[in-house]
Amino acid sequence: MLNGFKNPGRVALIGGQSEIGLSIVTQLPEDKSREIVLIGRSGDYVLDVTDKAARERVIGELFDAGDVDLVVIAVGLLGNDSKLSTTENLLAAIDVNFLSTVHLLELISDRMKQQAHGTILVISSFAQVRPRDDNFRYGSTKAGLDFYARGLASTLKGSGVTLIILRPGFVKSKMTEGMEIAPFAITVQECGKYGVAALKSRDLVTWAPSILKYVALIFKSLPPSVFRKISHR
Amino acid sequence: MLITDPVLVTGWGRNFSSLSKRASIATIAQAQEVVAHAADTRGLLPVGLHRSYGDSALNSGGVLVDLSALNGIEIDSVARTAIVGAGVTIRELESSALQHSLFPPVVPGTGFVTMGGAIASDIHGKSHHKTGSFSRCVNWIKVLLSSGEIVQLFPSDQEFWATVGGLGLTGIILELELNLRELSSNSADVKEFRVKDLSAMIDLLGRSDKDYEHTVAWIDLSGDYRGRGVVSLGNYGSEQVKIRGGGSSGPSLPSIGGANFITPLTVKAFNEVWFRKPLKHGTVALNKYMHPLDGVSNWNRIYGDAGFLQYQFVIDEGREEIFEKLFAGLRSLKAASFLGVLKKFGEATPAPLSFPRPGWTLTLDYPTTVPGLERFLQGFDEELVAAGGRIYLIKDSRVSHSLVPLMYPEIEKWRTIRSTMDPTGLWQSDQARRLRLC
Repeated sequence: MLNGFKNPGRVALIGGQSEIGLSIVTQLPEDKSREIVLIGRSGDYVLDVTDKAARERVIGELFDAGDVDLVVIAVGLLGNDSKLSTTENLLAAIDVNFLSTVHLLELISDRMKQQAHGTILVISSFAQVRPRDDNFRYGSTKAGLDFYARGLASTLKGSGVTLIILRPGFVKSKMTEGMEIAPFAITVQECGKYGVAALKSRDLVTWAPSILKYVALIFKSLPPSVFRKISHR
Repeated sequence: MLITDPVLVTGWGRNFSSLSKRASIATIAQAQEVVAHAADTRGLLPVGLHRSYGDSALNSGGVLVDLSALNGIEIDSVARTAIVGAGVTIRELESSALQHSLFPPVVPGTGFVTMGGAIASDIHGKSHHKTGSFSRCVNWIKVLLSSGEIVQLFPSDQEFWATVGGLGLTGIILELELNLRELSSNSADVKEFRVKDLSAMIDLLGRSDKDYEHTVAWIDLSGDYRGRGVVSLGNYGSEQVKIRGGGSSGPSLPSIGGANFITPLTVKAFNEVWFRKPLKHGTVALNKYMHPLDGVSNWNRIYGDAGFLQYQFVIDEGREEIFEKLFAGLRSLKAASFLGVLKKFGEATPAPLSFPRPGWTLTLDYPTTVPGLERFLQGFDEELVAAGGRIYLIKDSRVSHSLVPLMYPEIEKWRTIRSTMDPTGLWQSDQARRLRLC
C-alpha cells in the first residue's frame, strides 16, 4: 500500500536486471522497509517472459503474496544480437517487447483492478515516433506496445489504477554499448530520475529527456526525403 | 440495504484515498446478510465517521460496512449505564446522557466519533491520567464475527481486549454497554496557564494531574521551538450554564480551492496569537470544553489537497530527552505545527494494540509537503522505538511495518486471537495491509 506521502510499499520490477528499471526503483524516495520484488531471468521470481504459462503463474503468485503498489515493466530487446539473423532478431523483439509485454500488462492490470489501486510504468521508446531505416524493426515493437499502453491507460480511468508511459531516447547503457551515441543521449541514472518524476507527475507520457517531446513533433512533420537524410546514421 | 458501486473514500488527513464499495446497514439482520454474502477476496471493514487520520478506515477494492444507522441509545439512569448501538456518536451520547445529569467518563477531543470507532481505536481524552481510555468504562461489547455468529464479549474475555484497539479487524461491533458518571451540572471549571518552554509545561502538568480531572497542554512548535504553550486544567463544574443551539457544529471552512495554508510563516503568526490570547479562568459549557476541534467543520481542509499527517506518540516519563531530539529535527526542517498537544497518560489496558500507556504523549500535525519530513520521521521512529516509545496507529500514515511489532510487542498474541475470531480473513483494511497487521 502507498503510505501517506504517496510512496509505494511494494514494488515489482519486471526485467529485474534492466539498468533503467533498477535505476528507477532505487531512486524512489528512500524507505528501508519497501519491498522490491525482482522478476526476470533471475531474482525473486524467475520468469522467461516469452513463456505464456509462466507469465500467468508468476503474476498470480506476485499478487497473491500481497498488494502491489507499482509495477515497472522494463523488459526489452533491441534486436541487435549479432548471433541471430535480422529476421530472428525481429521475431525475438516482437515476442519480448510486444507480445509478452502486452500479455503481462493484461494480467497485471486485471489483478490491479481487483486491488482498486496501483501504478504500472511502461518503458516505451523514442523509436516509436516514426520509422527510421536503421531502427524501424525495434521501433515497430515499441510502437505497438505504446499504442496498447495508451489504450489500456484510458480504460483504467476510474478503476484506481494508473498506467504511465516513459519514452526514453538514447540511454547510455549496456544495451546500447558500442552504438554511436545519438543526440540528447542521457545516462541510466538520469533516465531513472525521469522515471521517478513521471510517477510523481502522473502524466500519461513522460519523455526522457523532456526535450524529446519537441524533437518528436519535428520528426513527425519532416517530409520523407528530409527525414530519410537525417535518419541515416 | 444497498451495496454501492466503488466510491472514493479518504481518511481525515486527506492524504490517503481508496476505492471501496459501501454497504449501509440499518439492522443487525442486514449486517449478517452482508457477512454471509461476502464473496470478495478484498473483504469487509466496519467503519464509522472516518475520523481516523490515515488508512485505518479504508479498504481498497473491498467493502466498507457503514454502521451509522445502528444508533439506538438506552440509558438506565439508576444503574448509570447506557446501551448504545455502534453508530451512536460521542456527541449523541453526551446529549442524551446530559438529560439525565450523566456523562461518559472518557471522551476524545472530537465528538464526531462513533461507539464502534471509540472501541476500535480505544480512544482517550484529557482525563486519561485519572480515568484511563474508553474501554475502561465498557461493560460488554456485542460483536458479529465472520462466521455469522454474534458474541457478547466481557473484560474477562481475551477477545474483548483483542477488539479494543483492534481497528475493526476482529468483527463488526454492533452494540455495547458503558458506565456513565454523574454530573452536578453541564459545565467545566477551567484554569489556563501560559508556560515559557517544554520543561515548564511538563512540570506544571506533572504537578496538576492529581487535582484536576482534565489536563492537557497546547504546545507551540514553531518559531524557536522552545515548546512554550498553554496548559489547560479543568474539573467538572457545579454551575449550570446555557448551551447554545441544538448541538449543531459551528461554521464550516469555505472551499479554498485545494490550496494549503499551513506554512511556517502562517503557523508562526497563528501560534503567536494563540499563545497570547486571554487565558480562560472560569466556568465554560462542558461540550465546548471537551470538543474544541468541533468548532469548525471540515477544518482538515485547511491543509489543502495534498493533505496532512498527524504524528502521535507516547514516551515513558524520564525519557523526555527524546523531545529535544524531535524539536531539533523539526527546527532544522522548518516544519511548523499549529496543533501540538501534550498530555500525561495514566494506566494502560490489557489490550495488545491499545496505544495509551503511562508517560507523555505528544501529537503534531504537518502538511505532507514539508521537504524532508518523510525521511526525518523514519529516522525519528527508530529513536522513538529505541527509547521504548510507540506511535498511535489510528493517527498513523507512514510508520514502517517492521517497527510495529517493536512498538506493540503483544501483536503476535493479538494476531493469534484475531485469527481464531476470523479464520477466513474476512476483515481487511488498507492499514492492515500496509502495516502487515494480520
